[in-house]
Amino acid sequence: MPTNDKDFKAKLGALPIAHQRHVGALFVQRVLPFSSDVQLKAALELALRADASDAELTGAYQAANTARVESFTRCGSVCDWADQAGHFVAKAVVACVRPAAEGEFGNSSLAWEAAMSARMARTCQTVASGVGTENREAEEQYRILSAFLNK
Amino acid sequence: MSASLDKGVRVLKEVIDAPIASYFSSCVHCGLCAEACLFYTETGDPKYTPIHKLEPMRRLYEQEYTLIGRLKKVLGLSKPVTDAELGEWQELVYNSCTLCGRCSLVCPVGNDIVYMVRKFREGMAVSGHAPEGIVEATRRTVSTGSPMGVTMHAVKAQMKHVEEETGISIPLDVEGVEYMVLLSSMEIINFPEYLSAIARIMKHAGKTWTLCSTGFEATNSGIQIGVSDLAKTIVSRIVEGAERLKVKTVISPECGHAYTALRWEGPNLIGRPFTFKVQHIVEVLDELRTQGLLKTEGFETDRLTFHDPCQLARRGGVIQPQRNLINMVAKNFVEMPDAGKMNWCCGGGGGVTAIERAEALRIEAFKKKKSQLEAVKPDRLVTACAVCRTTLEEGLEYYQMNIPVVGLTEIIAEHLPEQGA
Repeated sequence: MPTNDKDFKAKLGALPIAHQRHVGALFVQRVLPFSSDVQLKAALELALRADASDAELTGAYQAANTARVESFTRCGSVCDWADQAGHFVAKAVVACVRPAAEGEFGNSSLAWEAAMSARMARTCQTVASGVGTENREAEEQYRILSAFLNK
Repeated sequence: MSASLDKGVRVLKEVIDAPIASYFSSCVHCGLCAEACLFYTETGDPKYTPIHKLEPMRRLYEQEYTLIGRLKKVLGLSKPVTDAELGEWQELVYNSCTLCGRCSLVCPVGNDIVYMVRKFREGMAVSGHAPEGIVEATRRTVSTGSPMGVTMHAVKAQMKHVEEETGISIPLDVEGVEYMVLLSSMEIINFPEYLSAIARIMKHAGKTWTLCSTGFEATNSGIQIGVSDLAKTIVSRIVEGAERLKVKTVISPECGHAYTALRWEGPNLIGRPFTFKVQHIVEVLDELRTQGLLKTEGFETDRLTFHDPCQLARRGGVIQPQRNLINMVAKNFVEMPDAGKMNWCCGGGGGVTAIERAEALRIEAFKKKKSQLEAVKPDRLVTACAVCRTTLEEGLEYYQMNIPVVGLTEIIAEHLPEQGA
């Protein structure tokens, strides 16, 4: 089981892309309740399917990306942290269903991007609830990856 | 005349200083400013001609400060400024002006039309004609320190997120360091990757830095709404923080107008020079590059282009540093037509994104950016302003253009050698 993010990132980056989608989707499942967008739920279910076609992924990616862009908090608007948690859920889902043709960014991977956005969703929800800054999302992600690798 | 209109007109008379008087008297009505404004070029409506947006102010100038105007006023031949007229002008002074400064740059007699709009906004705000969205943002700035209601609690939550992700401790309120890093509310809320990138770059470069608990916010809605007292209060928070922590340099974040507000307007607002230097983050990164302290590895191979934030490139004169930085990590960088100081605005600056009623017009104006992008067909778009970033994303989404948008600081951090990250 990874014990730090350097190890976690390296293990995620070494996974084949289909596995990255799957494990990324498992991370996002934990924070999906922060969004009420049904298209995100459908996109996440697709990411969990091993037989998802490129055309299906492209459609899901477009829908999830629209949800992500529409949920930005605009400059000058008051921030609702619960809504902002939903934005990061959308961002995490976008990473999970990004078609291979869209390429990758820098030295990160789809699953790492999904993990980081899922953590931000949890952080926003924590801010919204006003109960401090602590959460255990990283440890839960380590546990999910470990269980996935040991299957 | 209502009390608020009376106050607004009084403020307008007061803000007509020597530069504004000379600008009005030297305007040759050539119309070149119209062709420089994306709200005019994309709608074809002459009411969006920049100098026309100042018409009520011009009449006040004429009536109060010119001989013929005064005579006409005495004889009852001039048209007074009314509440209804200022209400009508709200759309022209706020919704359809991003303070991008393109009009000022093309004016053949050197009129700084942006300066005039800023001053006009002061009278509009006092007379109760500033848009509700910006007024609310201003109230939040007074009560919480942030136009978007971001508190230190939220900043600490993001610091913790970044510390976990990077394994790097985020310094807070550390005295005597080289850099004090400011964030914009937009970055705290939407783009945590910016703080993550800063942490990795500073560690890589071996530089000391800190956030400041009493002055973390760079956004200055006082500048946007046109209330100098508020703009001064916001700048003062940063100045007090920087002086208390005895830092050498304050880094303005990837936010266009925050840079203008602090670097160019700041000393004038507080009435004295700063005891520290102010630099935009891309200036700092380029300085680190020239000192050999910023080294990257690998290249992006897809086609990248750069959107110049108006306040940084046109108003701030920072054009080459961002290109030096992109060329460190990009093999296939292309310039859009009119890039650099003549770049076209994203359409969201100057408080426009905070005005709900301006949305349809903003999307219409985005056609200019769309045509710039269509000319070079990039795979990705890089920029260095969080407001530009969300405005670009919204426009691209509306016009169904699949071009991801990324921040410059973030893309540089992604190319740091692993051992330095």
